[in-house]
Amino acid sequence: MDIDTTLAEARERIRACDDAAALKAIEREMVGKDGVVSALLASIPSLPAEERRAVGQGANQLKQAVLDAVAERTAALESSAVEAQRGAGHFDASVPAPAVERGSLHPLTRVTRELEDQFLSMGYHVLDGPEVETDFYNFEALNIPPDHPARDSQDTFFIEREGEGPELVMRTHTSPVQIRAMQRLTPPFRAIAPGKTFRNESVDASHEHTFHQMEGIVIGEDISVGHLIGAMKTLLRGIFNRDLDVRLRPGYFPFVEPGFELDARCPFCETGCSVCKRTTWIELLPCGLVHPAVLSAGGLDPERWSGFAFGLGLSRLVMLRYGIDDVRHLLSGDLRFLEQF
Amino acid sequence: MLISYRWLARHVDLSNISAEQLGDDLTLSTAEVEGIEPFAPHLEDVVVGHVTQRVPHPDADKLSVCTVDAGAAGDGTPLTIVCGAPNVDAGQNIALARVGCVLPGDFKIKKSKIRGVESRGMICSLKELELGDDHSGIWVLPAQAPVGEAVASALDMRDWVIEIDNKSLTHRPDLWGHRGIAREVAAIYERPLLPLDLSLPETGDAAPFPIAIESDRCPRYTGLAIDGARALPSPAWLRNLLLAVGQRPFDQLVDLSNFVMLDLGQPNHTFDRSRLSAEGIVVRQARQGETIQTLDGEERKLLETDLLICSGDEPVALAGIMGGEGSKVGEDTSELLLEVATFAPATVRRTSSRLGLRTDASARFEKSLDPTLPADAAAHYARLLSELQPEVRFPAPLSDAGQWQDPAHVLELRPAAVHTALGKTLPDGELTSILTRLGFGVEAAGELLRVSVPSRRATKDVTIERDLIEEIGRLHRYGNLPERTLLAEVTPFQADPRRALVRRIQDRLAGAARFHETLSYSFMDVGWLERTGLDAGPWVTLANPGIEGLSRVRRAVLPSLFVGLERARRQRGDVRLFEVGKGYLPEHAGEDGQPREVHQLALVWAGTPPGKKARWDEPRLHRLHAVLEDLFASLELAAPCWGPLAGEQPGEQAGEQDGETPIWSHPARGFRAHWAGQDAPAATVAELDPRLARDLGLAGELASDVAVAEISIDALLVAPPRPPSYRALPRYPGLELDVAAALDAGSSAASVDEAIRKAGKGLVQDVSLFDVYAGPNLGAGKKSLAFHVLLQSDTRTLTDKDGSKFLGRLEKGLSALGGELRKG
Ligand SMILES: [Zn+2]
Repeated sequence: MDIDTTLAEARERIRACDDAAALKAIEREMVGKDGVVSALLASIPSLPAEERRAVGQGANQLKQAVLDAVAERTAALESSAVEAQRGAGHFDASVPAPAVERGSLHPLTRVTRELEDQFLSMGYHVLDGPEVETDFYNFEALNIPPDHPARDSQDTFFIEREGEGPELVMRTHTSPVQIRAMQRLTPPFRAIAPGKTFRNESVDASHEHTFHQMEGIVIGEDISVGHLIGAMKTLLRGIFNRDLDVRLRPGYFPFVEPGFELDARCPFCETGCSVCKRTTWIELLPCGLVHPAVLSAGGLDPERWSGFAFGLGLSRLVMLRYGIDDVRHLLSGDLRFLEQF
Repeated sequence: MLISYRWLARHVDLSNISAEQLGDDLTLSTAEVEGIEPFAPHLEDVVVGHVTQRVPHPDADKLSVCTVDAGAAGDGTPLTIVCGAPNVDAGQNIALARVGCVLPGDFKIKKSKIRGVESRGMICSLKELELGDDHSGIWVLPAQAPVGEAVASALDMRDWVIEIDNKSLTHRPDLWGHRGIAREVAAIYERPLLPLDLSLPETGDAAPFPIAIESDRCPRYTGLAIDGARALPSPAWLRNLLLAVGQRPFDQLVDLSNFVMLDLGQPNHTFDRSRLSAEGIVVRQARQGETIQTLDGEERKLLETDLLICSGDEPVALAGIMGGEGSKVGEDTSELLLEVATFAPATVRRTSSRLGLRTDASARFEKSLDPTLPADAAAHYARLLSELQPEVRFPAPLSDAGQWQDPAHVLELRPAAVHTALGKTLPDGELTSILTRLGFGVEAAGELLRVSVPSRRATKDVTIERDLIEEIGRLHRYGNLPERTLLAEVTPFQADPRRALVRRIQDRLAGAARFHETLSYSFMDVGWLERTGLDAGPWVTLANPGIEGLSRVRRAVLPSLFVGLERARRQRGDVRLFEVGKGYLPEHAGEDGQPREVHQLALVWAGTPPGKKARWDEPRLHRLHAVLEDLFASLELAAPCWGPLAGEQPGEQAGEQDGETPIWSHPARGFRAHWAGQDAPAATVAELDPRLARDLGLAGELASDVAVAEISIDALLVAPPRPPSYRALPRYPGLELDVAAALDAGSSAASVDEAIRKAGKGLVQDVSLFDVYAGPNLGAGKKSLAFHVLLQSDTRTLTDKDGSKFLGRLEKGLSALGGELRKG
């Protein structure tokens, strides 16, 4: 056998090969256990002594040359495969991403958290109060005694009474927490209380019998209307991420004196839009200085302590924030609604 | 409440103040103006027409064909108009609605043919113009009305109607009439309130009409006898003012009564005096079982707490709310008794709300009216009536009964307190000016101002210094107060552990577990609860549900998630919902009588049932169980003990109460988590009871695999934390083995787990179940449980020999359990 010819033939086959498996087969045929090189080496003992050395060297050279050629061809095949991948034809970048399933937080949770975080950073406590309230906390302690005409506008859900129990209602506002805060915290203090509230109203796209509010109360010495204005502007900056003009106008709530309605410049327009009913003002929250009678009901001396309180409509704020058109979606449990947040 | 701009102008000069400006200023200083509308805007389009000719319709007896001159409002050609009114005639000025004109009720005038005659317009009646109820004929305008001019200007009827939010007047009895609002306007613009003569006209010297008050619920009752009054139509000015504020004109006697109420805010009532008993008026409380027929024709059942106006003993009016049918003033009444009184606000309010009878009068009385007002109002009525009917006589002085006291009082005002509350120093002069303009008397007394509160403000509204500060603030304008920064010592932030916990729960579930957070109503529907068998109480129940049946305050959060489950399943093949909320348990009322409030987390995972070849862990029960395990781990709680739904919980001390299977749970397919030392299970996860699933509509194509869980937030709050721990990394490689045990279907995975650990002699580092299988090749009543097992030693590398020794021991252990080790 002529080693040079064998090598030349093998190189030719390797060069022509464009398949990794076929390449392996050639390698096996040439340098494998039962391959050409092995056969050559096996023949050595039967050769004349003077030829043995040359054949041995030739066999080893053949083996190395074949391995080199295979390695070279393998590298060439890999790189042409890589190049082929890189040059692969049309790619449709408009194909949508496959959906990743995810969960969601309720928009009321999201907005409440934002506000909580903002108030926490300003030293407010976050408090909770029961949805089923006593008449005392919901009305009397808030300077709304029995037969007070302001009770009419509250559209209260009353709880059926069992025996001698106290009069219970579904709380009509988060304001009872004002009293609970005074009883629980040592002044001076600041607190907010988000939660569910209830009004016996007929339900439509903008009215619900159950909605969320956030009460705020600040108690200290010499708290003035000016402090209230300052605090409310800060609050609005947190909600709308910009400075909004506010205006206070008289509003009547028995538990504050003086009481105000706070309007903010409409964040959605300059000249009037449907949100602000073309007035450029949106009625945002009722507020006022805590009535001395309410301080007394909460166990604080009105000669020493003063404060302000406000009530923010969380449901309404959520609707404003996301542009939700129907308040009934909020508590509907409708997945088509929830999945959007 | 509706306020007429023109009416206000009777009390204060409004020149150079537009209605819009007035509205803005009232909003900023007094009360919320909800809207300002022109009065009867259609009268700008309806013009004065002149009927030049009227001939009968050739084909209809009752119709006339009129030729109408529209003056400058026409095109020069007289209009032919067919009119059905009996009173139309040539020579009249009439209200002409031309073609294209839109009348109230969106009624557009079109060209039409009436019985063959073309008609180009309409001659209007008062009713068609919403100016009265009279539809018997057309409205005949005064002869001097200029033809062609808009009726609004020709008859000087232009006005603006200002609507004020009643809620913002709750505390202001003085603002329930035009003069009260005018007083505010005068104070805002620093203009004088025009004088009003409220002295009683000359009265005769007959004996005053007898009045006896037998109840302390009527502080004052005045009565004025009037003779020779006639029920004539009211003049245009009176009609128009009443129309502007939404009152239907009737006749002078009724219209003046309304006018006085809407002018001074003092309700009053007229009786036909000839029909009253000679014993006179008796004000008394009703007797048990007594009834009265009110003017609206209803028979009203009364309670002893209701206050009645009686003629002798005969009830003639429900005090402060509505008159009775019996002594109603009729067209032929000429002898009147005018009642002007003060009634206890709570009495009026209770009676009117109980009877559902809210009237203009009751709305005012319940605000605590000024008891000095009745005499003024009686005089006002008498003066106005004398002007309209100079021949009326007042035979006797005003009868005036009652133990009333003038509520006017004096308050001390500290200028320093004003400055503290408003955050701005105002000069004493401004304080005095504002209060004086509002009708308060102000007198300096050293550092203080002594402020006399007029009776109209003194009944309830202005009783403390802070009330005066409000007066000053609103007239100074809150917008002129400076913004101030809240300063206070910073106290360390105290996190509320429950809120912090809830946040972590929400984030984990909405994040890793891919659940959607929902929020539900606190109310449950009685019918739904009964239908689904979830009605076991006791319940906190609404006495006055807004929506019929929606009256139960929920005891737990989970059932709320069932309510919309069918809809959710229709919308989605896989539904994952959770809610954090509260339930109310009336059987555990606190000291103050409030039901115990429980804070809960509820989860539902519902969807298409797994297929026949599904892996053992595909049912949502196992996946929800895993969600809870992950949740508890993420909350850094110690691992709870999981046990069966019913019966004694692992870790429970003897004598503790056994758990009961929840009503919504499959009787057996579920788990309960329990932390040592807690009385009640903290969490329950189970498959939904198939019966309940069916009742919820999850059947047929909506048949679902539903896992639900209820977790007590209160229990999580006191659950032991997971102690910080660390296990050294292994020094020697471990030996991983998969073992499968074949056992009776009724045996537990826990027993195999225990057998594996025992067989490992301390070398078992980890055991995890990876397959549960039951099939024909195992034989009936058998199942196979397969586990990954990791054996590892701290001191040496384990060899195959360790593995086979372990398997040998396990084989024995399993046969002791009645099972066997599966080979292969
Ligand atoms: Zn706007």
